[in-house]
Amino acid sequence: MTPSTLQTLPQGIEYVRILPEIVLSAFGIVIMLLDPLVDQRRSSRMLGTIALIGSLAAIAASQYQTQCPPGTAFWDMVRVDAFSIFFHIVVTTVTAVVILTSFEYMDVQQLHAGEYYALVLFGAVGMCLMSSAVELVLIFIALEISSISTYILAGYRRRVAISSESSVKYFLLGSFATAFFLYGVALMFGATGSTSIAKIGETLNAGPVPLLAYVAIALMFVGLGFKVAAAPFHIWTPDVYEGAPAPIVGFMSTAPKAAVFAVLLRVLFEAHAPGRLWLIWVVAALSMTLGNIGALVQDNIKRLLAYSSIAHAGYLLVAFAALPSSGIPAAMFYTAAYAAMNVGCFAVISHFASAGERRVTLEDYAGLGRRSPILAATLTLFLLSLIGIPITGGFFAKFYVFSAALQADLVGLTVIGVLNSAVGAYYYLRVIVMMYMREPREETPVAPIPFGLGAALAISGFATLYLGLLPGRVLEYARSAAALLR
Amino acid sequence: MAPITTLHYLVVAAALFVLGVVGVLTRRNVVVVLMSIELILNAVNLNLVAFSRIWGLQGQIFSIFVITDAAAEAAVGLGILIAFFRNKETVNVDEVDLLKW
Amino acid sequence: MQSHILSMILFTPLVGAILLLFVPKDNKDAIRWIGNIFAALGLLVSIPLVPLFWAQRAEPGFKFLEGTANNWIPSIGAGYNLGIDGISFLLIMLTTLLGWVSILSSWTAIETRVKEYYIWFLVLQTGMLGVFMALDFFLFFVFWEAMLVPMYLLIGIWGGPRKLYAAIKFFLYTLFGSVLMLLGILFLYFNHHTLTGVYTFSIPELYKTAPQIPFHYAIWLFLAFFIGFAIKVPMFPFHTWLPDAHVEAPTAGSVILAGVLLKMGTYGMIRFLLPFFPGVAMDTRVRGWMIGLSIVGILYGALVSLMQKDMKKLVAYSSVSHLGFCTLGIFALSPLGLSGSVLQQVNHGISTGALFLIVGILYERRHTREISEYGGISNVMPVYATITMIMFLSSMGLPLLNGFVGEFTILQGAFMENWKWAAWSVPGVILAAAYLLWLYQRVFFGTVTNPKNEKLHDLTPREVLTFAPLVIMAFWIGLYPKPFFEILEQPVNQIVHTVRPNYPGLNGVVNASTQPTMPATEPEALIRAVPPAANAKGKK
Repeated sequence: MTPSTLQTLPQGIEYVRILPEIVLSAFGIVIMLLDPLVDQRRSSRMLGTIALIGSLAAIAASQYQTQCPPGTAFWDMVRVDAFSIFFHIVVTTVTAVVILTSFEYMDVQQLHAGEYYALVLFGAVGMCLMSSAVELVLIFIALEISSISTYILAGYRRRVAISSESSVKYFLLGSFATAFFLYGVALMFGATGSTSIAKIGETLNAGPVPLLAYVAIALMFVGLGFKVAAAPFHIWTPDVYEGAPAPIVGFMSTAPKAAVFAVLLRVLFEAHAPGRLWLIWVVAALSMTLGNIGALVQDNIKRLLAYSSIAHAGYLLVAFAALPSSGIPAAMFYTAAYAAMNVGCFAVISHFASAGERRVTLEDYAGLGRRSPILAATLTLFLLSLIGIPITGGFFAKFYVFSAALQADLVGLTVIGVLNSAVGAYYYLRVIVMMYMREPREETPVAPIPFGLGAALAISGFATLYLGLLPGRVLEYARSAAALLR
Repeated sequence: MAPITTLHYLVVAAALFVLGVVGVLTRRNVVVVLMSIELILNAVNLNLVAFSRIWGLQGQIFSIFVITDAAAEAAVGLGILIAFFRNKETVNVDEVDLLKW
Repeated sequence: MQSHILSMILFTPLVGAILLLFVPKDNKDAIRWIGNIFAALGLLVSIPLVPLFWAQRAEPGFKFLEGTANNWIPSIGAGYNLGIDGISFLLIMLTTLLGWVSILSSWTAIETRVKEYYIWFLVLQTGMLGVFMALDFFLFFVFWEAMLVPMYLLIGIWGGPRKLYAAIKFFLYTLFGSVLMLLGILFLYFNHHTLTGVYTFSIPELYKTAPQIPFHYAIWLFLAFFIGFAIKVPMFPFHTWLPDAHVEAPTAGSVILAGVLLKMGTYGMIRFLLPFFPGVAMDTRVRGWMIGLSIVGILYGALVSLMQKDMKKLVAYSSVSHLGFCTLGIFALSPLGLSGSVLQQVNHGISTGALFLIVGILYERRHTREISEYGGISNVMPVYATITMIMFLSSMGLPLLNGFVGEFTILQGAFMENWKWAAWSVPGVILAAAYLLWLYQRVFFGTVTNPKNEKLHDLTPREVLTFAPLVIMAFWIGLYPKPFFEILEQPVNQIVHTVRPNYPGLNGVVNASTQPTMPATEPEALIRAVPPAANAKGKK
């Protein structure tokens, strides 16, 4: 080997730039290898603990990345800067919370733990990679790593018909969406001659934009829109959320979404995507409206939150229509706040659902305020945050998104947004009404909150309040990260 | 006879893409839907290879990734389908109806 | 050095609420004691404010300032800024007083889920105080919205039979109004940035730039704020949530709702609507509409009260009528009208708060509020009947009692602007006398017709104690209102000066440095600030 080829090989610092992914993969593989070796009865707790350590190590690795100078690695395939580290931390923290929630869930549902934890970690690898990838090929691969893991996880209660059905639906529509995305990528390659986002951006910025690029952006947007459950590509969401295991719903409604939003931000802003404004305008308005209207009539809390997640994808997209300087930090802040409150919601749901996920209708929540005050109080906190009541992260996120939109003179969209958030309050309140203002149907006490779940609730509750009371630091960080993106 | 240009490939790819989309939306057998998705992926491959004529090798490398991914996806998809079949004894999309669409 | 008295007043109830979290929920008496102690403490810490404020009542601008601009979320320019003037001072004192009274009144009324009740009530107290103290628009909005949740729960958990409907209606109406207001706030914020290059939510800063918005944009902003506040007041077409919420809420909830929450709407109008958009407020058509809606509210509320069979509903509709006087005073836009309006807000808090307590006492004993169930109560409950008489007379505006002073000042202010306004409102006073006296006659006079009423026991010492401060205040304001007007003089004059710079006789009292600048001409900058789509917004 000549010295010149040696120099082109990745340097040490380049491995640091994918350190969280390496850590997560390593722990995932260890879990897969250990699974057949350990005793069935003890495997759940032990493998879960390993997975938890893995996710904590990944958080630490993401933190460590902040110490290193930002830059690209592996022949400009990934770029680690404040922007991607922000999403790394969101994704890895969500992963840790989901694993904490799953401890008890796996026991109660009597599921085999081995592949479960491994798949969660592998999914997180894909999501982390997505947020740092600056190359469409790698984005595609990362997207697939995360998607394929979640397809399987959605059907993890495989003896339950609705779970495997939700998995089939998720898989079919998800791979259909991926195919759209890929077709868009191929056309973009044709239009600009590159798959690197920076180079695409240069080309599109320099000369007249070929028609092909518009088509490409539209197709990529369709594909990514599917993944974040934005209307009109949202039809799969309620079904999949209803059937999939509750902690996994918490996972896939937050972490992959955050990662795909990161990709969208890169594709739309860094690549100077043409014609983005109207595309986003329409999709955001539709998502908010259809999501909120759909949620009004739901009786199953998982379906209700599925529609709510559609609506929230809409609010988030409002930020995409705004000016980059305020829109990008707004979107980043929103993903973090949404991740905190939604993963918390599903932590409560997965605990309360009990064996076989029996208790998932709104009626079941009647009188929860009396039967388990702590559970009800935390769920109320998350729901208030979803409504957007002050001192919660959800309020500030919405506030910042709408102020970014107003700054960009998007008055119409902002008005649709704020009216929608007033409508949306109704269905979240229905849950609170059930918990506090109805008599319980059954007096059996709710199972006590185990340590893992308690930790999960504490983390997400703390994050929700922190982002609401002292949003300054996170906001500053998001701003400095957004500045790098342009 | 006129030479075959990049455009010709693109038209074929677009036709494959449309066929695939129509297949996904209209066919009722899950396996056929899966095949239609593969059709779209092949349209993508054709596009990438065709564009490689203009822009160089990168497109071909990308298409290898796509083929690999398609295989992985098919494997997982069929596995999911088997799990579903055990519960429901059907591969007809119309009977995937426990959850309302 | 900054004084922290406002923060102390603000957070005393919250400290109580946090402390209550750690009390076991079965120990109801301990919970009641702690709740009451902290409510009383909330009143006690606010009392030193009285002499302190009195000493500097004539100084211009906001007093007792706390915090610096942008100290909370520097990146968007939001700060923890507190400060009060005469208007907010009176409302804060009213809040701490009514908070204590209503918590005291719930001692026996609340038997279920006692712990949660006191916690939410104390949290609500902090939220309301925050609204009156905030000098930062972001902080204001946070308190304004955050206060919805405890009130919603108070109605929804401890309310009457249709509590769920009432609670959700209350929440959604108010939320709808406040999201519109949020849009308005953001517009002012960006407008300020365009004109000065600074992002800030500081209200005194925004005072300087908001009046420069040209009329055709300002009118939409005015509407956005107006709807937000009018729902809260509530003014005539937006009032439908009020009877539901009042009737279903527990007694103490009604007292706070009528006594303090509604005042947040009128407070918002005085604090924001007039000084931010003086041009719009002085526009003949806008003003005509405002006055018109107020008069309709006065008459409509009074007429509907006359028809009620349920005592609490009667009091609720009478609120619509009384608040109509308050908004009439505001839009009379003269020193007399405005100070009358603020004073009337305090009066309404005292007398209507007392009326709800009165209804609550009967309800607690008999569990019905149907007027036809009662009759001859004065025979069995003489002390109760006397107090009721005083509060009824105060509410209907009899001279020597507080209601008279407020209503008379408002009418005088309105008369000086346009005699027709006063003429149209006067029937409201007469109708008020009619429905209240008729109610009194049906419930208290005559012989006891219903055997169930024969055994009713008179007020307990605790109940007398709840009424005592209200009765004292009613007489004080009725007999010697001068200190109240002196407190109000400076801020009211300043607002009138902002809206009507040529109003005679104000030049001596207004300090030039704190005035908002007058509409200037910077068309380019303003068009950038407020996009043309602003017009489309209002049409939706």
